[in-house]
Amino acid sequence: MSTVKHFLRTVVGRAYPRLVGVWREKSWLIFDVLFPLLQVSAYVYIYRAIGAPPEFSGFAILGGATIAYWMNVLWSMASQLYWEKETGNLQLYLLAPTSRMAILLGMALGGLTATTVRAAGVILVGALLFRVPLQVSHGALFLGVFLLTLVALYGLGMLLSSVFLLWGREAWHLSNLFMEPVYLLAGFYFPVRALGLGLALAASVIPITLGLDALRQLLYPQLMENFRVLPVEAEMGVLAGLAVLFVFLARGGLRFFENLARREGRLTLRGQ
Amino acid sequence: MASYDLAVKTEGLTRIFRLRKREARDGAREILALDRVTLEVQRGELFGLLGPNGAGKTTLIKILATLLLPTSGRAYVAGIDVVENPVEVRRHINMVVGGETSGYGLLTVEENLWMFAQFYGIPSREARRRILELLALVGMADRAKTKVYHLSSGMRQKMNIVRGFLTNPEILFLDEPTLGLDVQTARTIREFVRRWLEEHPDRTILLTTHYMHEADELCDRVAIIDRGRILACAAPWELKTALRQEAVFRLRVEGIADAKAALDGMPEIRALAQHAEDGQLLLDLVLASEEALVSVLARLSASGARLAELRKEEPTLEDVFLALVGRKLTEDQDEHS
Amino acid sequence: MMRRLREAWQGIKVGTWLGWQIESNWTEPFLFAIYAVIKPVAGVLILVVMYLVVAKDGLANPLFPHVFLGTTFYLYVVNVLSGVSWTVVDDREHYGMLKYVYLAPMHFYGYLLGRGMAKTLLATLSVLVTLLFGVVGLGVRLSLDDPKLLVGALLLGLASLAFYGILLAGVSLLIARHGWVVGDVVAGGLYLLCGTAFPLSLLPWPLRALGLGLPPTHWLEALRRALLGSGLHSELSRLTSAQLLLILVATTALGGALSVGIVGVAERIAVRRGLLDMQTMY
Ligand SMILES: Nc1ncnc2c1ncn2[C@@H]1O[C@H](COP(=O)(O)OP(=O)(O)O)[C@@H](O)[C@H]1O
Ligand SMILES: [Mg+2]
Repeated sequence: MSTVKHFLRTVVGRAYPRLVGVWREKSWLIFDVLFPLLQVSAYVYIYRAIGAPPEFSGFAILGGATIAYWMNVLWSMASQLYWEKETGNLQLYLLAPTSRMAILLGMALGGLTATTVRAAGVILVGALLFRVPLQVSHGALFLGVFLLTLVALYGLGMLLSSVFLLWGREAWHLSNLFMEPVYLLAGFYFPVRALGLGLALAASVIPITLGLDALRQLLYPQLMENFRVLPVEAEMGVLAGLAVLFVFLARGGLRFFENLARREGRLTLRGQ
Repeated sequence: MASYDLAVKTEGLTRIFRLRKREARDGAREILALDRVTLEVQRGELFGLLGPNGAGKTTLIKILATLLLPTSGRAYVAGIDVVENPVEVRRHINMVVGGETSGYGLLTVEENLWMFAQFYGIPSREARRRILELLALVGMADRAKTKVYHLSSGMRQKMNIVRGFLTNPEILFLDEPTLGLDVQTARTIREFVRRWLEEHPDRTILLTTHYMHEADELCDRVAIIDRGRILACAAPWELKTALRQEAVFRLRVEGIADAKAALDGMPEIRALAQHAEDGQLLLDLVLASEEALVSVLARLSASGARLAELRKEEPTLEDVFLALVGRKLTEDQDEHS
Repeated sequence: MMRRLREAWQGIKVGTWLGWQIESNWTEPFLFAIYAVIKPVAGVLILVVMYLVVAKDGLANPLFPHVFLGTTFYLYVVNVLSGVSWTVVDDREHYGMLKYVYLAPMHFYGYLLGRGMAKTLLATLSVLVTLLFGVVGLGVRLSLDDPKLLVGALLLGLASLAFYGILLAGVSLLIARHGWVVGDVVAGGLYLLCGTAFPLSLLPWPLRALGLGLPPTHWLEALRRALLGSGLHSELSRLTSAQLLLILVATTALGGALSVGIVGVAERIAVRRGLLDMQTMY
């Protein structure tokens, strides 16, 4: 059994429940598309009330789709290991003679694929409902930025999963904390440059910040001329850097947690 | 397969848990969960660890399964040091904790088991074959396609047990595998374990339990553990024979509230447990010799007790435990975790 | 009858106590900061930036105070309305506790009402914090010209939110697998339909009609009139404040009646189908 094959089997094994979940729980899909869509609609009308050009409705829709990913990263990546610990799965994962990164990767790939279905739903329905101009000028570049953003984002998710594990019960609150404040700082609904260059750059630790900014630049080049944080190429560079950094840190983080937990007896709930 | 004779070997294994301030018990900030445990489990054995709640059974299993570090001492599984080389140990073992389930409710039984098989690098076809075979053995053949959240808790536990055997581990740790199960399911599981080991004579199982019957019925050898210490370790029959020179009696008496107080200080009494039932007092007595019974009865009668029933019994592992520890295995612990 | 009343009272007492116990980790500074300060303020700041980017007059735009006020009081909707329904699911799934609550000799409805009261109390804190931030940080000017309207609207609105929250809790109990999101989706829908942050006239007419039929629309409008001196929605401008209050009285009464009925039915069905101790998380 080659190591690579074993790694891949683990990835597929852990991704499977998430993929299967998409069509096994079809009714969830409705909720998962509906909920962001409600928010998106509200923001579209808020913009319309103050006479914003239609591109801003595009921002709102893009933001809503991004929320689907961010929620997935928070609730199904960052909180996941903590939750697996509570249900007793975590110890079984650590017990298995396989790569922990493969398990995290499987979690990420499964969640990412499942969420893409939802995000696509939000964009499609949103664009149709509000007749928003969505015209991609550089298709390949757009796709590249999008994928890079996802890699960095789920890398962050992997890292957070160890951090949240350390945090224990407070992790749940941490996920809650990372909602509205992150929507604000990462500029889910408006060009992040509006926060000022300094803050926008600081917020770039969240991969969504630059990812969204680059996508907006590619969608609405004229409008974004005055609003962009960095040129698209530079933003891609930063995103790539973040991706590598996060995955690397995630690996260290999980190792750190595992050692700590083995020392302190925290891998499972007490008394089990 | 690695070459080793001892499937498990521990030397002076000790584990101390440090508690946070608000968790402190009776002011103590430390719990001695394992106290210099030295054990040897032969390859091919079904070895039992018998002890009450809180004795340290799970702690020992967790250390052997590389999920917990010892505070001091050494442990080898399949001849490999669990502290030095946990990654290597994991290739040889698996573990099932009774009362826990595994996997995701959304998946079917078969899918869940398949997922775990993937983590062990087992090809899908082979995994499927083993899954169906094992499910049939525990009487769940018709449940392969059932989603786990539709299963009863007993069924979930059986599925979890199958997960342990699925990877065909050289050494399998079963931590209270029949915990909380009904009699019938528990029996199915015990039969299954026994049979599996007969068919795989080079495999080793280390099982913990606080049910004495389970240890008696199932295990080749049993170690009795209490408060982190191994008090005895031998085949069940040997442990019981050791008691046979002594005499084990069951008494039912009336008109007395506390026989322990009444019988206090009698050197002939090796061990005594009492337990009130329907206004009577049930006594389990381990005496140094049969002759001692006379003086015990005299003392009881002097305290106002009337004898309602008296039986001499073959010793059980329960009596062994009573003789060793001074209380019954099932007696209420101050520990509830 | 007397016994039922006593049980109901007992339920309210225990529910409030239990609710407070469960919610009272709010009093930890870290959690207080998250839920009562950071999250609401960040939510408002998103709107602030949107206005600054697009509106020529920025926060001086005459709509802004209305948007701010709507969003701030909407915190009650999230916390009370969704909060109570979420409670049922959380009790069941997380604490595995619902069945014990139910077995205890108290009134289930009373228990829910108690939880709602605890939520209301806590939401009040975050509303106050956000209002303070608006007045001090964003220069929103609040007037207290009509205290009677303010108090009347506030109390009626909160009672009605609690009732509708309980109603929703009953529903969540039954649609076991989706209980988690029902509250969220309803809250998201109300934000949109009740003209919380924009004039209702922007909505296409079916949605507008729906919005005009929803109690929180009238509630927010009454609060705007009381605190800002004028309302937001032209559709409601012909109603006098007394009429608005009257509508609130009616919808609150309706909510009360509906919630009692629906929780009663839900309770019976749940017991019959064994939904009280169901665990759907995996
Ligand atoms: N993670 C832990 N932290 C603190 N104390 C623990 C922990 N795990 C077990 N203990 C304590 O160690 C003792 C032995 O526990 P355990 O090994 O679970 O016993 P058993 O499995 O025999 O019931 C108990 O007093 C238990 O409370
Ligand atoms: Mg145990």
